[in-house]
Amino acid sequence: MIESNELAAPRAAPLEPAGGRAGRGFWQHSWEELRSNRLGIASAVLLALLIVVALTAPFFSQFVTHFGTTQQDLNNPFSAPSRTHWLGTDELGRDTVTRLAYGARISLGVGFLTVAISLTIGAMVGLFAGFYGGVLDDVLMRIVDVVLALPPVFLFILMSILFRPNAITLSVIIASLGWASLARLVRSEVLSLRSREFIVATRSLGARNGRLIFRHVLPNSLQLMIVAASLGLAQVVLIEAALDFLGLGIQPPTPSWGNMLSNAQEYFVHSVWLVIFPGLMIFLTVLAANLLGNALRDAFDPRLRHL
Amino acid sequence: MTESDRTYDHLLEVRDLHTEFPTRGGRVHAVDGVSFHVDPGETLGIVGESGSGKSVTVLSVMRLLQPPGRIASGHVLYRGRDLASLDNAEMEEIRGADIAMIFQDPMTSFNPVFRSGWQVGEPLRIHRGLHPKEALKEAVGMFVKVGIPEPEKRAVQYPHEMSGGMRQRAMIAMGLTTAPSVLIADEPTTALDVTIQAQILELLQQVSREFGTATILITHNLGVVAGMCQRMMVMYAGRVVEEGPTDEVFAHPTHPYTWSLLRSMPRLDSDSTEPLLAIQGLPPDLTALPSGCAFHPRCPFREERCVQETPALLPVRERQRAACWVTQSGRDLTAGPPPRG
Repeated sequence: MIESNELAAPRAAPLEPAGGRAGRGFWQHSWEELRSNRLGIASAVLLALLIVVALTAPFFSQFVTHFGTTQQDLNNPFSAPSRTHWLGTDELGRDTVTRLAYGARISLGVGFLTVAISLTIGAMVGLFAGFYGGVLDDVLMRIVDVVLALPPVFLFILMSILFRPNAITLSVIIASLGWASLARLVRSEVLSLRSREFIVATRSLGARNGRLIFRHVLPNSLQLMIVAASLGLAQVVLIEAALDFLGLGIQPPTPSWGNMLSNAQEYFVHSVWLVIFPGLMIFLTVLAANLLGNALRDAFDPRLRHL
Repeated sequence: MTESDRTYDHLLEVRDLHTEFPTRGGRVHAVDGVSFHVDPGETLGIVGESGSGKSVTVLSVMRLLQPPGRIASGHVLYRGRDLASLDNAEMEEIRGADIAMIFQDPMTSFNPVFRSGWQVGEPLRIHRGLHPKEALKEAVGMFVKVGIPEPEKRAVQYPHEMSGGMRQRAMIAMGLTTAPSVLIADEPTTALDVTIQAQILELLQQVSREFGTATILITHNLGVVAGMCQRMMVMYAGRVVEEGPTDEVFAHPTHPYTWSLLRSMPRLDSDSTEPLLAIQGLPPDLTALPSGCAFHPRCPFREERCVQETPALLPVRERQRAACWVTQSGRDLTAGPPPRG
């Protein structure tokens, strides 16, 4: 692989002794690259924090904020950020911090589940279509074309009416469209990997198709999938928030960032924090996921570094 | 195995192999009626220009042709069993276990994301179902045999951390882990520099001696053939034009193409004032082969008959066969071509 000169010069490890040392592999190398990317690391830390908050939301509400998600503090409706309600309360006096923490469970839960489902399906379709080619490729890719041609908003509305929306059905609904573009992405990578000499060489060792696909092609396309997953997470969080906002997603009183925003529409003139904080959470999550995705792409692909 | 009970003439024998690639411009006969054989401990050299069908021949033997390429007819008999008629699963058991292949470029023949030791152990995991730890131990043992220093350290390195020569040694180790009886080396030294080339060739010879492996060596380097192979065959436009014991072919080429190749190569023992001879013209277009003998437009010995009829591969000297009207009619090429007006 051709690496740029400025890459080789300052960062190159000291010359190894003739005997060599335990290998510094692709993943290790990428990790070192990623670690030196401050924006990427900051994004990863922010996402990790959000995940921790989402996972510990019940604990968080009990011991830190001392409010439940639907617990009403009727003495304090529309409270501005204060000592008792750090980020204020809504029209029923419900604590915004608590509801945002529970909202993180929805946003990130739906986000990760959707990415997991669409990546699994997309990767399988892409791997098989790209590796086998021929009729299988034609059939699978025409299905992908059809899915990509469906109008997403219309479909989301229809499906939300047909299935009672909760975190899981919502993930399945979003993933049912999201896998198609991933399948295309993976397929194009597999097409180029398939004709690489090491695949022929491995075949000459007697490797069967299954082994070639899952032990040799898949690990070589993992980096692409990781980047796609991170960027996909950002998209899904946005779509989920939009569906909640439109009333097609998570239904009140279960708090989600999207339906909190929707609820805040009527009040934002006098209680602007009701809009700002859920909006900020969505914004930060999407930004962090996108920045992390870009940082991962840079870390994996030496040709993109220092551009 | 039941087939080991059967008798067979040669360990690996290819009979009248035809391989073709359907293209828009017509059917390309990349391999056109090639026959050869190898036996244990023997090294057969296949020489020819790019596009002469050397690689396609061995890829056909391994059944590794990229579609739409296919074997149109012919037999590939390994221990008397026809590989050309096996189904994929049966072929997968032979590939890597009985017949192994070493590729031209050790830079691209390794999977970049795995440590070299892991990859060298891959055939053992595939064919013997070895545990990865066992396979790695065996791989380290093979590293020792192919002369890789500090094998334990090398085994945990990634391919990009090794030099070209080291990687080619590792490739050979990978081919040999299952002790195959046939080793096919497709231009194993082309991507390496000259000193490393010599070491790798030495290693291949040693392997052939020690393991009794039948080796098929593909090259366009006649010097390599002279040093390595007991027998050689020369290919041109998908056909074998000459075959025989290496020293006899070198001393007495019986096909004008071989004669031209030898004359185009500098030799230490020749008169240095004599200019090197270039072969006239270009290698033929396989979609539109010349009539008669495919070499006739470039042949200094050309006769009337060569333009019209295709010569068959027939004995010319005691142990040599050639596909040439000129030598089959008894002419000796060493006297040189007739002057042309």
